[in-house]
Amino acid sequence: MEKTLKKENFNSLITGLKDKGYRTIAPKKDNNLVTLDEVQSADEIHFDHVQTNNSIKEFFLPKTEKILSYTLEKNKVSIEEPEGFAVKSVVFGSRPCDAASLPIMDKVFNWDCSDKFWVERREAITLVTIACDKCDNYCFCTSVGLAPDSKKGSDVLLTKISDDEYLVETVTEKGEGLIKELETVFSDPASGTPDRQVASVEKKFEIDKVKPWLDENFVHKIWAEFSTKCIGCGACTFVCPTCHCFDVVDECTMSKGDRLKNWDGCQFKMFTLHTSGHNPRSTQDQRWRQRIMHKFKYYVEMFDNILCVGCGRCSRVCPADMNISEMLEIIASEEVDSNKE
Amino acid sequence: MENIYKPYLMNISDIIDEAPGVRTFRLNFLNEDEGKNFQFQAGQFALYSAFGYGESTFCIASAPTRKDYVECTFRQAGRVTNALSELNVGDTIGFRGPYGNIFPIKEWEGKNLVFIAGGIALPPLRSVIWNCLDLRDKYKNITVIYGAKTVADLVYKHELKEWDARDDVNLVTTVDPGGETSDWNGKVGFVPTVVEQAAPNSEDTIAIVCGPPIMIKFTLPVLEKLGFKQEKVYTTLENRMKCGLGKCGRCNIGCTYVCKDGPVFTAEEIGKMPDEF
Repeated sequence: MEKTLKKENFNSLITGLKDKGYRTIAPKKDNNLVTLDEVQSADEIHFDHVQTNNSIKEFFLPKTEKILSYTLEKNKVSIEEPEGFAVKSVVFGSRPCDAASLPIMDKVFNWDCSDKFWVERREAITLVTIACDKCDNYCFCTSVGLAPDSKKGSDVLLTKISDDEYLVETVTEKGEGLIKELETVFSDPASGTPDRQVASVEKKFEIDKVKPWLDENFVHKIWAEFSTKCIGCGACTFVCPTCHCFDVVDECTMSKGDRLKNWDGCQFKMFTLHTSGHNPRSTQDQRWRQRIMHKFKYYVEMFDNILCVGCGRCSRVCPADMNISEMLEIIASEEVDSNKE
Repeated sequence: MENIYKPYLMNISDIIDEAPGVRTFRLNFLNEDEGKNFQFQAGQFALYSAFGYGESTFCIASAPTRKDYVECTFRQAGRVTNALSELNVGDTIGFRGPYGNIFPIKEWEGKNLVFIAGGIALPPLRSVIWNCLDLRDKYKNITVIYGAKTVADLVYKHELKEWDARDDVNLVTTVDPGGETSDWNGKVGFVPTVVEQAAPNSEDTIAIVCGPPIMIKFTLPVLEKLGFKQEKVYTTLENRMKCGLGKCGRCNIGCTYVCKDGPVFTAEEIGKMPDEF
């Protein structure tokens, strides 16, 4: 289904969503950062940015979430299961790269057995993506098989067709249902081909050349070269829409406690540390290699998908100015093997 | 939808102090139906929780042939194991499992078995040793070579006596030099050396090795010298885990997830993994 949406109708759209019982999450200006967060009206939404500071990940896999609660009484324990964690919501105005991360992560959270916290949130949240009309040097979606107007993972895709109007394309039945629920705010598209305003993102490397190199080069001096600057802060893993590693910890008072699933990251030394003190990934270059290998080799072998959508956040946020697409460019280039040791 | 992180509640019905800082819990399901439906196989592991402190991963140390309970043996080392060791008979703990693959004991039928363990690594092998002893007529010679730092550090002391007394088990125990007592009847020496001296016949024999990395590193070449092919040597690996379900992302060695593809591997499979143990 194709419709159009005038910018002046954004307010009716957000109000309409609220009336229909949806929580709306959208890009919001917060000091100098643009952050995806809950909004009450369209006035709060920020449009003129390349990328939000946070990804949509936290609305599906929260930074911290209860996976069970318990009460302790003498030597007895009773377990309660969390409820109401999947809130009916619309994520409005996130980018196509973020949307593409969801079907990729569906695989890990559903293989063998399903993580209900992921699955139920996925069902409860509808994704209305806005195609990118601009980009920066960190963006590399086109190098990982995506595009600034990819539909992958979105329920509805909006593309700017003039300064005050968007083309609305439904991608899934869920998206179509949403548009039908709020039919009055949309118009029928004018005849003729709309002028889609989509950014042109430069292709930086051939992704097909990355995995064959990784297959052969678990041991290579490039891992140390790449990671000498790394301070192991893990910011890259937290802003990444596809990094999904987590920790499980208990928090408890004398009589009540929660078991929590918290974000964790492969760049931390503690991540793999054994109780004995032995650590299979004891140095930062091993941990950096793990990050690249997991995204571009291991995940591909397990789930036939790259664990990266080219959003560029890891490089934007890195305090040591490490740039993953530059590294992938080197890996995919002919010169890389002259470096082998 | 089922919550995959929800543990069974288990009652601690017995506690045995095995060695300094090492304890065995016998656990029974609080919910009888859960207990009746529960099944596992030798080699599998579980996540045990001390409520308020978190979860810890250990193998199931009892044999699947011994129904109605599961046992785990752990060393007091970190936050969770310290909290577990504060618990008493009658207290409740959480149990998630069984997870992971198994020792293919069906394939081993009709063969000789040599179990080689060091220190706190006997518990993972105890499950499979008792499993095979409970099906004794299906296997030929069974040898157990077990070593610890000192006599006090040997775990399952009563069972070692029991195995020693049996005609159908060849038990060799050893302690590191200096770890012996005046009444010690076993050998004195490191496990790899003792394996070399005991020289189990490799023909038609499966070797199952578990111990600290340094013991494994020096035992594998000895087995090779004795003629054991890599695909006939089994071990069980441990890595830090949080979910046990192939999702939390930390126990992998290359593409191999210890929680799902393991913990049981042959020496041949380990030889193909990248060097990141």
